[in-house]
Amino acid sequence: MTDLRFTEEQRDCLQELVNVAMGLASDKLARYLGTLVHLQVPAIELVETDKLPQHFARRYDKQSVTLISLGFFGDQGLRGETIMLYQLENVDVIAQLLGYSDDESSEAEMLTDISSILTTTFLNGLAEQLENSFSYAAPRILSSRDQHFADKLAATSEQWQLALQVDIRYQLTDYSFNCDMILLIPGEAVLRLRLILAQILDSF
Amino acid sequence: MALTALICDDSLLARNQLKKSLPADFDATIVTASNGIEALAVLRSEEIGLVFLDLTMPELDGIGVLEAIKAEAMDCLVIVVSADIQPEMQKRVMELGALAFIQKPASAAKLADVMHKYGLI
Repeated sequence: MTDLRFTEEQRDCLQELVNVAMGLASDKLARYLGTLVHLQVPAIELVETDKLPQHFARRYDKQSVTLISLGFFGDQGLRGETIMLYQLENVDVIAQLLGYSDDESSEAEMLTDISSILTTTFLNGLAEQLENSFSYAAPRILSSRDQHFADKLAATSEQWQLALQVDIRYQLTDYSFNCDMILLIPGEAVLRLRLILAQILDSF
Repeated sequence: MALTALICDDSLLARNQLKKSLPADFDATIVTASNGIEALAVLRSEEIGLVFLDLTMPELDGIGVLEAIKAEAMDCLVIVVSADIQPEMQKRVMELGALAFIQKPASAAKLADVMHKYGLI
């Protein structure tokens, strides 16, 4: 199997590109929610896709989780899928803040809206820095209020060879709102990404 | 005497990017730090005239550095270079005494513009 690992310099480079893209996404989210979002350094980790369900099952042990997926397609074979994972603990507060009504269908609508804002802004920012441009599939909800989401995550991630896990902790001023973002990228796109990172590093 | 400028950012790429984008006629010795704690150590031991400061960093973030600079009345100018572009955040760094806010990645043109405006080049 092809070695998909990154060098430390390439990892640092990607982390910085993600940092810039996250800044844009957080700014959008902050404007949408009308509150200041406290940004933290994004933790980036490359995870083998078959280990993902295990990894997240542990983290979301006691809560129900909503998964929302968005596929993206760029030039030169750069493509993948983002999955946003939301803990539902604080969803009520946010729903109230944004004026969504208090039922399950509008909760799903709200999370889809937030996911669109976060992922498309994030991915546009990333694409621009990679001198690429992405187009997007419609967001889909993979599971909602599901205690056994690991199976669904496994089903969607098995077609990908590598997952770039970007840990996002959005701390809002008055309450915490946590979500995780996972970027799933197929093997050949990882090679392409690595090549672009090497070119960026070479330019310094 | 040439100025000593500190570039503080947790990313090596960001530090290199900034260093490369500085105006050619900026006559300064460049030193670097990779988090806020390191930056304060440099600021307390060396005479630093200008700081390029990132906000989102481990250990101690840029806000913490600005607060310490203010509290200890350090004599240095700070240009914040950050990806955290929320208006509220920009307002906060300016209130803490930053000279200017530049969105990451900082372009050579923007850097030259800001540095020219404040007589640094």
